[in-house]
Amino acid sequence: MESFFLKADNLHRFYQRIAETFELYVPVRIQTPLKVKCDYGLQLATDDYLLVPYSSTEKEKVVFNDYRSIEPAARAFFTYFKEEVCSYFVDKETSHQEQEKPLALAGIKNCDLFSLKIQDFVFLGGNEIDPTFESRRKNALIISGDCPNFKEVCFCRAFDINPYATEGFDFNFSPLNDGYLVDVATEKASKILASIKEMFTPASSGQLSGRQAKRDVVIKKMEKHLSYHKIPKKESLQEIVLAGYNSGVWQEQMLTCVECGGCIFMCDTCHCFLLMDETPEENAKRLRLWDGCLLKNFSKVAGGANPLKMRYMRLRNRFMKKFDFFISNIGFQACCGCGRCVEVCPGRIDIRYILRRLYEEKHLPAR
Amino acid sequence: MKKNIYQPVEAILEDVIEESPTIKTFVLRPKVPFSFRTGEFIELTVPGLGEAPFTPSSDPQVKEKIDVTIMSVGTVTSKLHTMGKGEVLGLRGPYGKGYPLQEFKGKDVLIVGGGVGLAPLRSLLFALFAEIEDYNKVVLRYGARTSTDIIYKSSLPEWAKMKKVNVVTTVDVGDPKWKGHVGLVTTILKDLPVSLKRAVSVVCGPPIMMKFVTLKLLEIGFKPQDIYLSMEKNMSCGLGKCGHCRLGKFYVCKDGPVFTYEELKYLHDIWD
Repeated sequence: MESFFLKADNLHRFYQRIAETFELYVPVRIQTPLKVKCDYGLQLATDDYLLVPYSSTEKEKVVFNDYRSIEPAARAFFTYFKEEVCSYFVDKETSHQEQEKPLALAGIKNCDLFSLKIQDFVFLGGNEIDPTFESRRKNALIISGDCPNFKEVCFCRAFDINPYATEGFDFNFSPLNDGYLVDVATEKASKILASIKEMFTPASSGQLSGRQAKRDVVIKKMEKHLSYHKIPKKESLQEIVLAGYNSGVWQEQMLTCVECGGCIFMCDTCHCFLLMDETPEENAKRLRLWDGCLLKNFSKVAGGANPLKMRYMRLRNRFMKKFDFFISNIGFQACCGCGRCVEVCPGRIDIRYILRRLYEEKHLPAR
Repeated sequence: MKKNIYQPVEAILEDVIEESPTIKTFVLRPKVPFSFRTGEFIELTVPGLGEAPFTPSSDPQVKEKIDVTIMSVGTVTSKLHTMGKGEVLGLRGPYGKGYPLQEFKGKDVLIVGGGVGLAPLRSLLFALFAEIEDYNKVVLRYGARTSTDIIYKSSLPEWAKMKKVNVVTTVDVGDPKWKGHVGLVTTILKDLPVSLKRAVSVVCGPPIMMKFVTLKLLEIGFKPQDIYLSMEKNMSCGLGKCGHCRLGKFYVCKDGPVFTYEELKYLHDIWD
């Protein structure tokens, strides 16, 4: 992988080049009332970021995001909340996804990239490939960025996921002094780079070690943050959720759930969907809608029986899926530590606290 | 263009056979060849309304037509029950893993059905009958709520007359017309004409029935790996993607719908 230096002044020239061929999304800073306060004294950032279309955004509002966007999660670029997947019996000559301009996503973070591994497993794996997902994913340009900071709800390092990416991107941006250290990982990225060579200078070894020092500082600060939360190590996740099947924590934590579905729709690793057909019958079409196991009718069958009829069963199901099913099937958990579910929850149900409780109930020494 | 995995193929409803007051068999003729192995399931579309998963009940060797025996319980099935000859439906699939017939060769195959659960088992019976010389014996035990709820009423006595085939039917609640057994299906699992050394069992029915039949079979001495169960959940995509039919570390649509009890016995709440 080659690394270059890009001066901050050149960032928009780079974005403009990308926007020529891609539908580019970039981060902007926003203020939201959704705040999880740090209650143990660390001064943590409280800004939020959105990823918005570059073409319709004022240039001065575009920033380098210090950590992941509040929304959309990366998966929302590849499957939509509600979209048509087919019409009945009629093969369209060119399917709509082939007409979409390929995506370029700037400001994607390593937690998002980890989640895309789950989405890839679901939509590209198995016996059949989802063609819409595949074309969007294959054509997309990923411009990830280091996290020089984190917010209260971030806990990627608890699962040994770094706040910076080393794989899974086309370009990676690490802020350094008056610009960015840019990793160029793929042929697609190299070709773009070749067309705008003059903006870049090769990265010096001093710049590379400077970046490493910055990365180490964030990790160290985050360790301090995580020591407060005492999140179990990833090696124990499957064991503790299986052992905690009959734990009281599920019922206790669900007392404040208002069944809004925020956690499942904000989640970057959730992938469940429902196929729903729409009238009129003459040209009826089939829609795919995001669905999630925290919603009441998720597992209800035609006769009316519902294996997940109680709210605590649905919370438990979510943990079983993330920390048992996925670990059994692909060897890692379906949680990237982005904390979006913690942030969005009006009932303050915290995945970190539940895992910690399950861990403690097993009487193992906490991390 | 790539295949659209969510798109159904067109199928014409060729006939509707009334099996019981709540159950009908729909005979479908797909517009393109559509084959399945016994035990695999399909997604059946009522255009403009939606789709639901069913296991075909017809002979898997017949390629041009597919029978699906369906009880009226939800939105899709209620609508289906109002439909008649010539109407257009959609088919997707087949999905999942069917019955592992190779594992049954040379053995005594005990088939236990409950209610409309006999539907997928009829397809299995046809597959077994087609190569009956390969199996030692086929034993069918079927239970329905009342005598009017029995499906395939004319076929059951015919199957009973076949060589190497043994059939006993029971009803939960008797009536003056009914001359056969009265009692839950577990009550006709005593003194089975099978040799446990070479027997396998296949169970399909409502979850509560499957639970008690499984417990009974274990009590009789069947090994967990010789009990095959049809775990039908609310499969939506059929492709292992939509997440609805998770059962422990499995997806029913992709890893099932047929599982051995051995595979499921450590999982929680499998009968819910």
